[in-house]
Amino acid sequence: MDIVACYKWVLDEQDIKIVPGSLLLDTSRAKGKISDYDKNVIEEAVLQAEKDDTVTVTALTFGNAKAKQSLKDALSRGPVKGYWVNDAAADIADGFVTANVLTAALKKIGAYDLILFGEGSSDAYGQQVGPRVAALLGIPVVTFVTKLEISEGKVMAARKIGDCTEDVTVNLPAVITLLPEVCKPRIPGLKQVLGASKKPVQEFKLADLDLVAENTLPKNKIKSIQGYAMDRKNEIYTDGTVDEKVNTLIASLTKEGLL
Amino acid sequence: MNGIFVYSEDIAVTKQLLNIGRSLADVLQVNVTALALNETETDTAGLIACGAEKVIALSGSNPWVESYAESIAECIAKENPLLVLIGGTMRGKDVAARIAAWHSHGLVNSAMSIEVVERKLETKRMLYGGLAVCKEELSEGCIVTIDPRTYEEAAADPLRNGDVVACTAQSNDAVLVGGVCPIVRERADLANAEKIICVGRGLSSQSDMKLVEDLAEKIGAEIGCSRSIAEDYHWLPTESYIGLSGQKVKPQLYLSIGISGQVQHIVGARDARVIVAIDKNEKAPIFSAADYGIVGDLYEIVPKLIEKLGK
Amino acid sequence: MEDEKFDVIIVGAGPAGSACAYILAREGKSVLMIERGDTAGSKNVTGGRLYTYALELVESNLYKEAILERAVVREQIMMLSDKTGLTIDYFAGTNMEERMPQSYTILRAPFDEWFAGKAEEQGAMIAAGILVDELIEKDGKIVGVKAGGDEMYADLVIAADGVNSSMARQAGLKKEWNGHEVGIGVKEVIELDPETIQQRFNIGPDEGVARAILGGTDSVMGGGCLYTNKDTISLGVVLSPASLAAQKRSIADIYQDFKMHPAIYPLIKDGTTVEYSAHLVPENGWNSVPKKLYRDGFLMVGDAAGFVINTGTMIRGIDLAIVSGVAAARAVLKAAAPADVGQLYMKELNELQLISTMQLFAGWPQITGLPRMSSVYPDLANEMIGSLFYVDGKLPKRMDKSMLQILRKHVGIGQVLADAWKGFKAL
Ligand SMILES: Cc1cc2nc3c(=O)[nH]c(=O)nc-3n(C[C@H](O)[C@H](O)[C@H](O)COP(=O)(O)OP(=O)(O)OC[C@H]3O[C@@H](n4cnc5c(N)ncnc54)[C@H](O)[C@@H]3O)c2cc1C
Ligand SMILES: Cc1cc2nc3c(=O)[nH]c(=O)nc-3n(C[C@H](O)[C@H](O)[C@H](O)COP(=O)(O)OP(=O)(O)OC[C@H]3O[C@@H](n4cnc5c(N)ncnc54)[C@H](O)[C@@H]3O)c2cc1C
Ligand SMILES: Nc1ncnc2c1ncn2[C@@H]1O[C@H](COP(=O)(O)O)[C@@H](O)[C@H]1O
Repeated sequence: MDIVACYKWVLDEQDIKIVPGSLLLDTSRAKGKISDYDKNVIEEAVLQAEKDDTVTVTALTFGNAKAKQSLKDALSRGPVKGYWVNDAAADIADGFVTANVLTAALKKIGAYDLILFGEGSSDAYGQQVGPRVAALLGIPVVTFVTKLEISEGKVMAARKIGDCTEDVTVNLPAVITLLPEVCKPRIPGLKQVLGASKKPVQEFKLADLDLVAENTLPKNKIKSIQGYAMDRKNEIYTDGTVDEKVNTLIASLTKEGLL
Repeated sequence: MNGIFVYSEDIAVTKQLLNIGRSLADVLQVNVTALALNETETDTAGLIACGAEKVIALSGSNPWVESYAESIAECIAKENPLLVLIGGTMRGKDVAARIAAWHSHGLVNSAMSIEVVERKLETKRMLYGGLAVCKEELSEGCIVTIDPRTYEEAAADPLRNGDVVACTAQSNDAVLVGGVCPIVRERADLANAEKIICVGRGLSSQSDMKLVEDLAEKIGAEIGCSRSIAEDYHWLPTESYIGLSGQKVKPQLYLSIGISGQVQHIVGARDARVIVAIDKNEKAPIFSAADYGIVGDLYEIVPKLIEKLGK
Repeated sequence: MEDEKFDVIIVGAGPAGSACAYILAREGKSVLMIERGDTAGSKNVTGGRLYTYALELVESNLYKEAILERAVVREQIMMLSDKTGLTIDYFAGTNMEERMPQSYTILRAPFDEWFAGKAEEQGAMIAAGILVDELIEKDGKIVGVKAGGDEMYADLVIAADGVNSSMARQAGLKKEWNGHEVGIGVKEVIELDPETIQQRFNIGPDEGVARAILGGTDSVMGGGCLYTNKDTISLGVVLSPASLAAQKRSIADIYQDFKMHPAIYPLIKDGTTVEYSAHLVPENGWNSVPKKLYRDGFLMVGDAAGFVINTGTMIRGIDLAIVSGVAAARAVLKAAAPADVGQLYMKELNELQLISTMQLFAGWPQITGLPRMSSVYPDLANEMIGSLFYVDGKLPKRMDKSMLQILRKHVGIGQVLADAWKGFKAL
């Protein structure tokens, strides 16, 4: 049984600054990371493999040259092999392009029974790549899953959909998108980190994949990306006794007509 | 005719979509088609009153709405609309993404706004967890999901008329749905609350919720939380968490206790009139998002607040 | 996984560790470098300067690839009194090709990451995000390390884990630091656009300033430093913990006042702080370097060995860390048997003149440690120079008299002579 865990290499939003005096984003100091919830995706895949030794987990990412760093991190979390579609096109890819590229890569890889995605990536939070890939591959998808059990060519999954939970069953091959609650990602140990650098990574270029040009062009045109301007009073009481601080706050809230 | 197509599995949301859909259609001078799935005749007629020129009433026997994605996609293909609006519920997003893939169309999820600029459609949505706003010009046929309650329901005008076309839908039964268990709403709706107190991981144990409840009672507030409190600790139900993937709220007062204020959280409370934060870490990002704040230990500040408000 | 063994395990990917790993890997040794930060450099206090001679020892011309900020063309010493400041500015010329040795300002996070990356390119294995908990000892010999539940073995473990080296303590070669042996440093990186920096410091686009600052620390013993980077300024103070305790103020408060000093603030005005961090610095020079720097299967480099020189006008730790890393690597390469490495390491340290340099400056802590260095003398210097420029239309005092008067106001003549003698002896 082959599980492919898809993860995205993103900029750490905590390092992104809004340039003072303008709404421009400064990403120059931002480091990359595996998209927060995709760590849970890899973990869940690996937990499945740890329960059943016929399960093989690989990891798949589509990213630019910098995403190379991510493979070691991803593989130290347990997958036996990494697939990396290395292309600068990833920088401007939307859900449409990403899904097309991942689908082409999955077809090339060939071995997939279960493909796992995150609920949404921490940069774009496009919330679409998983179900899109399922649609393109013509296989079923179960979204927003919090629990997963594989047996005899089937997946039993618990979904959490706003106002209810659902238990569903689907035959493999299938796509599942996971909510982060599904599991807690591990912190890889020394041996796992060392082991990762010995694991194979297969690299593809877009040209290696069966893709027509128009499927690698984003659909919508981005007109602007602007920092969200937070216009707040920022009256923060740091000094003084608890009494004084609380009094000042109560006075301010009274003035606002809130008490 | 390339019009605007709206769909949600929740008819109340469909009516919200009709509000914005209708006004866009008026600017673009096109028609609106609404799709209703397994709704009563009165309800489908209601969609006409709310502004649709045409309603496609799909019916099928599978209660699982996601199973109709293919059928919905077919209806959309036939209409060949220039814009598809789908309700941004979880089920809506699931269906939207697959339709977008089948049709090779763009998809913008959770648009905050959509408008016509120089005869082109433009949306705004959050990026980087809410740190930034991205403005996009939509390609023709693009699907846009809009979260529930982003717009009010369209006002019903019983004098409007339009066609209702009934169709039988073919469900895809690849996914077998077993038990469905509704999550009982335990608390008042945060979306309409005037005052909200929000708790985060600064609270060291569930028993300390009492402290927060006492304060909430004093000032007449509802209680919300960060994602971790609901999803990792399960101290409060899912619908209590505020943020990017949780609730968006617009209270008069939002008061956070022990919440660091990561952008994905605060984005859900940015429409509050007044934001107040209590956190012991002076450098917590919550303070740059706050109007008023106290840097201090919540276990000292909150009891003092309760005491002083009680007098 | 089968138990593997490396030739060398290096704990810590600071400049000392990376220099050592680079050479060993290049020469074909199997090297594992373990760093607790998520990336090399992520835990390190940013800012500082690097003397390129040290990188030359690792590999000729390597510095040309390094992530450097600005070439230091102005060396400055600043003395602060309450409200005034006196700056001595030495312009060292701009032609970098002619100038040897050179030094550059650097930001540690990108520099360390680059350096560790270079070592990796040479074939060193790097495991980041892993904290080494313990040394593994067998029959009186250090044979490996433990991290989390994992054990890893090597012929030699090199402690490059910095000033608080828990490896050196566990090996029994170093005790906890005494208060007077370390300084506590805080440092801020303040963002400003490059043009503003160039204008404020009178430098060209790739040129930089290194400034040592005395005074302005509320009489707490220690000093400050300022470096101009490409689009940031590193500003910090390193203070004596004992003296801080006596003053009963936090280092953060003192730093805040220092930063707001009327002679400092205009330099950083309108800047945004992008980083704030605190760190220890070995302050006691040679006298605090442990008697023994190695034992069977183990040796220490860089800050872990206490290789820092602080003269008050200059702090050298990064270059000495690199030099000691080079020495350790050379020792490993030359050793016929693992047991020889320790002694060869000392020999290399001698040959690279690290030990003699440290010894030369051995007396300096006595000078920098003089309580008068951080307030009385800076005040004195300011007032003396200030008086030279003071014109109020009245009859000026005779210069020699007024100078003497100023001197007496601040400090007894006997004290000056005693301090001067102490300084002279120390040199
Ligand atoms: C794609 C994505 C979507 C997300 N969506 C959401 C979302 O919708 N909603 C959401 O909430 N999060 C969301 N998150 C998670 C979010 O990034 C944060 O991780 C989360 O909000 C942190 O919760 P917290 O503030 O309770 O915890 P922490 O970040 O751990 O903060 C705890 C705070 O408590 C303070 N504290 C501790 N002890 C005390 C004390 N005694 N007194 C006072 N203060 C104290 C600490 O200083 C700290 O600031 C999302 C993340 C991603 C990647
Ligand atoms: C405020 C300040 C200003 C300074 N200015 C200058 C200057 O201008 N010029 C100069 O030359 N020097 C300066 N120094 C001194 C210089 O920073 C140090 O001497 C130098 O960094 C020493 O390098 P190192 O490789 O020995 O140790 P470090 O750079 O401290 O590196 C040690 C590494 O080991 C890692 N580590 C520690 N413990 C473990 C563990 N158990 N497991 C895994 N990893 C571990 C750490 O994360 C770190 O990355 C300054 C120091 C301070 C504090
Ligand atoms: N470039 C990518 N490479 C691999 N997987 C991706 C990529 N982008 C998105 N994904 C996967 O799709 C999920 C949803 O992403 P998104 O639709 O962008 O919110 C993520 O959690 C990942 O599992």
